[in-house]
Amino acid sequence: MAIKILNLIIVLFVPFLMLGIIKKTKAFWGGRYGAPVLQPLYDFVKLMKKDFVISKTTSGIFRITPVIVIASALFAALFVPLASSSAIINIPAGFIIFAYILGLSKFFSLIGAMDTGSSFEGMGASREACFTTIVEPAFFMLLASIMALSGNYTFDALSKIIENSGNYGILICIFALIALFIMILTEGSRVPVDDPATHLELTMIHEVMILDNSAADLALITWASGIKMLLLSSLIAAIVIPQGLPQWIAVLAYLALMFIISVIIGTIESATARIRMSHVFEFIFVMSSFALVVLALVVARMFGG
Amino acid sequence: MNSFFTGIITLVLSGFIAALFSKKYKVAILSFLTTVAFVFCLIPAFKVFIEGENLTYSANFNPIFQTVNFTIDPLGAFFITVISIMSLMAVIYSNGYLKPYLEKSKNINSHLVFLPLLTASMQLVVTCSNALMFLIFWEIMSLSSFFLVIFESDKKEVLKAGIKYLVFMHVCVIFIILAFALCAINSGSYDFSAFSEVLKNNSHLANLVFAFAFIGFGTKAGFVPFHNWLPDAHPAAPSHVSAIMSGVMIKTGIYGILRMLSIMGTPSKGIAYAVLIISVISALYGVLYAITQHDLKRLLAYHSIENIGIIGIGTGVGMLSLSYNNPSVAILGFGGAILHILNHSIFKELLFLSAGSVYIKTHTRNIEILGGLIKSMPYSAVLFLTGSVAICALPPFNGFISEFLIYFAMLKGLLINNFFALIVLLFSIAGLALVGTMAILCFTKAFSIIFLGMPRSENAKNNTKDSDRVMLIPMGFLALLTLLIGVAPQYMFNFVLKPAQVVMGAQTLAIPAQYGDIMQTISICALSFLAFVVVLLLIKAKFSNKVALHETWGCGYDKPNNFMQYSASSYASPFLSMLKPLFKKVFDIEKPKQLFPKKAHFSLHIDDIEEAYIINPLVKFDEWFLSKFESIQSGNIQSYIKYGLIFLVLIIIGSFYIG
Repeated sequence: MAIKILNLIIVLFVPFLMLGIIKKTKAFWGGRYGAPVLQPLYDFVKLMKKDFVISKTTSGIFRITPVIVIASALFAALFVPLASSSAIINIPAGFIIFAYILGLSKFFSLIGAMDTGSSFEGMGASREACFTTIVEPAFFMLLASIMALSGNYTFDALSKIIENSGNYGILICIFALIALFIMILTEGSRVPVDDPATHLELTMIHEVMILDNSAADLALITWASGIKMLLLSSLIAAIVIPQGLPQWIAVLAYLALMFIISVIIGTIESATARIRMSHVFEFIFVMSSFALVVLALVVARMFGG
Repeated sequence: MNSFFTGIITLVLSGFIAALFSKKYKVAILSFLTTVAFVFCLIPAFKVFIEGENLTYSANFNPIFQTVNFTIDPLGAFFITVISIMSLMAVIYSNGYLKPYLEKSKNINSHLVFLPLLTASMQLVVTCSNALMFLIFWEIMSLSSFFLVIFESDKKEVLKAGIKYLVFMHVCVIFIILAFALCAINSGSYDFSAFSEVLKNNSHLANLVFAFAFIGFGTKAGFVPFHNWLPDAHPAAPSHVSAIMSGVMIKTGIYGILRMLSIMGTPSKGIAYAVLIISVISALYGVLYAITQHDLKRLLAYHSIENIGIIGIGTGVGMLSLSYNNPSVAILGFGGAILHILNHSIFKELLFLSAGSVYIKTHTRNIEILGGLIKSMPYSAVLFLTGSVAICALPPFNGFISEFLIYFAMLKGLLINNFFALIVLLFSIAGLALVGTMAILCFTKAFSIIFLGMPRSENAKNNTKDSDRVMLIPMGFLALLTLLIGVAPQYMFNFVLKPAQVVMGAQTLAIPAQYGDIMQTISICALSFLAFVVVLLLIKAKFSNKVALHETWGCGYDKPNNFMQYSASSYASPFLSMLKPLFKKVFDIEKPKQLFPKKAHFSLHIDDIEEAYIINPLVKFDEWFLSKFESIQSGNIQSYIKYGLIFLVLIIIGSFYIG
């Protein structure tokens, strides 16, 4: 029980920390001192107090979108193993529920963006919808392959890769980790897919979709995208952190891993520029091909003798 | 069973009775009579579900038909329920939809006769277990729906679509006749139970019969590559007819396939793989072309192909598990498929009816010139949104439940210890995920271009009122159903288990308790999710800060134009540019010329690749081939008499040899 409550606290606060650490890392590589790590949380509180500025074109859809986005991010968190060994609601095929709840949030964030009638936001929505069509099938293929190994359809299968796949274990882990990491970069709208710090609307994807959101709406959406990044990072944690550790060590290891992932993302953002829009597809297809490699390895493991 | 036939007779007569009344009351009388009729039809269906015993009725017509059996088993009862409820909603809706046509259309009376006739023939198709009578009811169904499609027969494209539909339906019936004839020759009877005995003992015959039946019924259902009539016929028909056709009538094709499965027992592995692979291709093909469409009803028609594909995936997984002797997984696949039949008929009907509301108010189906309708038609917008979320299979609506069951069946199927099965299933899972995300792309496009943003033309701008209440109420009922099934899936799951068992050859098997538990968990999650969203919305409404209105941010540009918004083509273009080779793009460009260009024109039309490269060349070849015989048709009476004489002589000579 205590661990479940701890998980909830992690979902609520760690996303802010991750965003803060990413910014701090970028400041470090840029030779700046940077804002405090808790700045995203301060921003959140500040935004919650502000008045709304809303476009005349918008309808009720625009107003309810942030609520549905944050509600589905929080609900999706129930199906993912966080700092504990298994998810709060740990049912077979839970990853499908997880993916489709996030799909609901995506659906509403897309129509919320289109509701403003802005060409920029339409552009962002169109790109975001397009990238999703590449990411999701790869994600499903990856997880289904891993689950075929153990015949266990919960997220627990992720932590049993090595145990179930003998010599192939390390390879499957490496390819799965890279595929998941690309998914974090894409879905979390980070460099090199998208640049959250850019100032030109034409080049943005996720950021441009929320151009017209203000005050509490903006706060909720930013929080939700942080949560989404945390959830996907937790899948990496489920693969990396070994089972059977004492509980407090597992929690510490989890937090340390979240720190490391944030630092890596921050470093990538400092070291590379975002890819040209027409080449982003190719980058995301790397994830699909890695998912295919995992599939091939799983088939080889099961039928290759 | 008597009550069922009372219902059918009432249905058949209701159109004629309604035609007698004055224009004002016609449709209302029809709605009343059909309501009564459907209640009569539903009573035996529910009886079958509650008591668990099949109802049968035998009629002895004449020497040709022998004894004709009508049976209502759980599968038939399920279809009766779907047909009755969905047709009733469409008929009630037509009260509002037909209003503008009552004055000007000549076809109104025939329309009112064929509408209940179509539903009656569908009810008979799903209960009849005699092959000959089945074909007769099937033909009545095809013909009456043909007359409904050509309601606006003064338009050229409507007639063209109608004739294409008629041709396709008759090609499809040829294959069904072939399948039934093969069975009848081998069994010496037209009864399905006699077919069953023959097919269970002869697996080669069973494969052949199933292949013919799949082509025949699959054409009706709209599996790729037999889908081509669908995207033409649906836009041509009035919206409530498209709703019935897409929601219910194409499902009779699925019924035929499921019935064949229950007759032939355990399918062979090859057939199961074929069904699964064709279904995945159908689903992908349907949703891909849906994204390219700007005609709202064509878009929805392509989505029907997609959803038929999803139903087929469930059926295919069920067949695969059955052929590998894994019934506890098969029931998930068939259960998911059957639940998706119900779900699809609900949300597709909802979407077609909302599309009809938009059409009646704006007089266009081209979504590119709509926009901002949520302000003038808030109810229709919310209902269309509900349908969109449901068809994208997003929780907490009904589409998610059936797709979840199908996914779960595929995941469980991965344990079949077979190399080929593993690979096919893994790719099917990825394929279904791809279909899901593409559906999200398509429906965010459709919904936001039609209802959100600013109006793009006078058609959209001039509309000030939402549809009539009599149109909104059936739509609201359907929307409520999508939500109810989404939040209480455990009841629906139990409801579809019985028909699924019939498909599996009436095996009794223990359903693992795990399935029920998962449904229970999903139900609790969905309910608490809804409650959570409502609470958050209330909190937001209560503590909301001050709101200031402003123009949409346009990079500092303060005078946005309605045409600066993203259009449907531009929304879909990044995605479609990835898949260029899969389309045939037809450009129609008139470039601006001279110093002071007066007019310029650009339009892009995307052709169905199958139509462009397979159907059209076939038709061309056919025309060329038949034109060789033109000289026979001289128009000269003497030569016709000559043909008759030659024919008679040939018959006389022939009868000597044969007799």
